[in-house]
Amino acid sequence: MDQQEKRVDGFRFMPPGLAAWIQTFIPDEQFNGPIPWTPLARPLSQATVALITSAGISCKSDPPFDMEREKREPTWGDPTYRCIPRNTAAADIDVNHLHINTDYIRKDPDVMLPLTRLAEFEAEGIIGRLAQTAYSFYGFQWQNERFIDEAIRPMASRMKSEQVEAVLLTPA
Amino acid sequence: MLEEDGFTTVILTPTHEFNREVGIPRSVALEYPYGRLLGEVGDADGQRQVLLATLAVLEQAQAPGQVKHLPFEWPEDPRHTHWHPPEMSPIVKAHLDDIKRARERMKERG
Repeated sequence: MDQQEKRVDGFRFMPPGLAAWIQTFIPDEQFNGPIPWTPLARPLSQATVALITSAGISCKSDPPFDMEREKREPTWGDPTYRCIPRNTAAADIDVNHLHINTDYIRKDPDVMLPLTRLAEFEAEGIIGRLAQTAYSFYGFQWQNERFIDEAIRPMASRMKSEQVEAVLLTPA
Repeated sequence: MLEEDGFTTVILTPTHEFNREVGIPRSVALEYPYGRLLGEVGDADGQRQVLLATLAVLEQAQAPGQVKHLPFEWPEDPRHTHWHPPEMSPIVKAHLDDIKRARERMKERG
């Protein structure tokens, strides 16, 4: 391995106490179980790509993610998801998230949901197609089994109907 | 779950250490502040570089569980990134004592 290669420190931006606490939830050993795997069936330049973020982004025309219940019940996180059409303008999005500063996303949604950049890649032939719909859910899901049925399955089903082959996930 | 449904997925993650807890097919690790994973506001060129490197992993990764570490450096000191929410999150507020204890234990271990 190249000695110069950077190794990312995922806790560099976190206050030391919070980093120490979060690390108590992460095992020391590498994950050893089975990992599902679907290779890309054709070159990226021909594939349809969709975006999913957990940044709590919604269209202003839709209900926002529920922050009030989480303030009352700190282990609860809104388990629903929102669809975001690919041509949605920054002025038409809302962002709700109690764990990050959302100002940057409001100013430039591409910092988490790079629809503009991927539309450029589509025009340049780097990807085959950007899917019609992008998706956001809410990043704080703690032992929430409803989330799979209420968010992941319907998103997967809609992506199938839009012939999505590859998915980029951006967590927050 | 998505991979089982036939989608090829890649996650661009600020905290690749979580891969020790759950199996993730393709990960791209990046040392950028939370909530600005693609780059700075308005930095289209920087965002493109991150995105190109991330999408490349969709084609290039050969086996599940691998993590590609990106070389990009955030231009600000972590203390000046202001990525935190304006108000302490409910879960952190509810666990301040645990957080303090974890910090003390970490200090003891050096």
